Amino acid sequence: MTTIELTALTKEYGSRRTVTRAVDDLTCTVEPGRVTGFLGPNGAGKSTTMRLVLGLDRPTCGTATVGGRDYTTLGSPLRTVGALLDAHSAHPSRTARDHLRHLAASNRIPARRVDEVLEEAGIASVAGRRTRTFSLGMRQRLGIAAALLGDPPVLMLDEPANGLDPEGFVWLRRLLRRLAGEGRTVLMSSHLMNETSAVADHLLVLGRGRLLADVGTSAFIDRNSAPRVQVRTGDPVRLRASMAARGHAMREAGGGRWTVEGATAEEVGAVSAREGIPVLELTDLRASLEDAYLALTAASAQFAAASPPTTTSPQEA
Amino acid sequence: MPVASIPSVAPVLRSEWIKIRTVRASWGSLLAILLVTTALTVLTYSTVGEAEAADGGQQVKEAFYPLNFAQVAALAYGATAVASEYREGALRVSLAAVPRRGLLYWSKTAVIAVTALLVCVPTTFATFLVGQAFLGGHAIGLDHPGVLRACAGGAVYLVLMTLFAAGLTFLLRSAVGALGILVPFVLVGSFVLGDAAGGIGAYLPDRAGSHFFRETPPGPLGPWEGLGVTALWAAAALAAGWWAVRRRDA
Repeated sequence: MTTIELTALTKEYGSRRTVTRAVDDLTCTVEPGRVTGFLGPNGAGKSTTMRLVLGLDRPTCGTATVGGRDYTTLGSPLRTVGALLDAHSAHPSRTARDHLRHLAASNRIPARRVDEVLEEAGIASVAGRRTRTFSLGMRQRLGIAAALLGDPPVLMLDEPANGLDPEGFVWLRRLLRRLAGEGRTVLMSSHLMNETSAVADHLLVLGRGRLLADVGTSAFIDRNSAPRVQVRTGDPVRLRASMAARGHAMREAGGGRWTVEGATAEEVGAVSAREGIPVLELTDLRASLEDAYLALTAASAQFAAASPPTTTSPQEA
Repeated sequence: MPVASIPSVAPVLRSEWIKIRTVRASWGSLLAILLVTTALTVLTYSTVGEAEAADGGQQVKEAFYPLNFAQVAALAYGATAVASEYREGALRVSLAAVPRRGLLYWSKTAVIAVTALLVCVPTTFATFLVGQAFLGGHAIGLDHPGVLRACAGGAVYLVLMTLFAAGLTFLLRSAVGALGILVPFVLVGSFVLGDAAGGIGAYLPDRAGSHFFRETPPGPLGPWEGLGVTALWAAAALAAGWWAVRRRDA
């Protein structure tokens, strides 16, 4: 089993006077067998972290290893880590097949893998076309095909859902789930909460280069969102009074429904049964990952609109 | 996962060869060294060649006059072959596949050198033979003193200029940047500086190498020393490029 391990990983950019810390003392482990979502706003340090893992950037201090080894010491690295960093990295006048062929050749990967991954990524029919004619979605698929080339136990994908159409996103989700199911380590970054919650079992949340959370997706939602209940009742006046007595505000939500803040369905059900208030409908409102994320980042008060995104490194578009 | 730890050069050389062959700009500028030079040879020698030859002068030097154009094509090849790594995130993909920077850098340099040599040898011979075909009675043969030396040395000189441009492109991360310095330097600067600065001018990369094409070298350098000086320039550019690639974040 191959894990990605980050230990006190720190990367600073800039001159001595204006140092920007893109990655700040990051310590965590990306485990195999699950999809880990790497979440954070643009400029939070996700891409920088991935470049540090691949040895493209050098850390100011700390280490990043894959399966206990420095990436740059791997003999055939594409057979260990498949990475998608930038959808535009294929040369525009090279064909998709030639792009994969030179990568395969450099790592002694058999040429038949090129056609296999083209097929798997759904771009076999355009393999002979120059990539300048590709849409963003097709470029992403080519980048994912390149990541799969060496059949690696670790996949590290930076914003792989960017530019994919809904069908493409469903494909990506199935692919990543399957790869994780095969026991591989899958790290996927995103700045979009909804697409991440649809794929990831586990989350690493980054803000200004710091690790804000390293937690399961559902636990993250539970932990970072106050409970809310939607209820339809025959006697809203009495229910509101008894909820207010317990410190929960009840507001009309339209269509005869009400929401109770801070309460669970269990709690509201028990109260109404005890007091004989008729309840016609009762549902826990599960907070979305987006809500949880905003709650977390609001709490750490780091992303106020006024503060400029100073953590963006010069190479990070 | 069975992962070999020993880096092997052959797969990386093969990969770099595929890279050059599959981008039209680099492949095209390689062939342009031969095609453009031969075309310009035909153009100049069929029009003014015989009249110039009748005036006398240094026959060997004049026979290889079109290599002035070949060297610009060689610079363009060196620059474009490297610059394809600096489009968007291409270098990151290359370094993710071959994270040992020295292995990637010197493999690419070696493939550029070998491909350039394979094209530059026919280029110098074609220039000489095609040019002389238009000179009628004034023509000289391959057995004329200094001609074979100029054919061989001229090819090596063109390869060195290719590597000079390659190294500078690694340093500047842009073909436009590298050619923007080198082409005016070779086409204009060297003529002006070379004549004005006297002795020092002979040590400029193109001036030093051009001693090869004269029966009697004009300056302090002999033909082989001149080529050596050009080689030092190329080595300096490659060293600077290597320093930049090794040191920089990709």
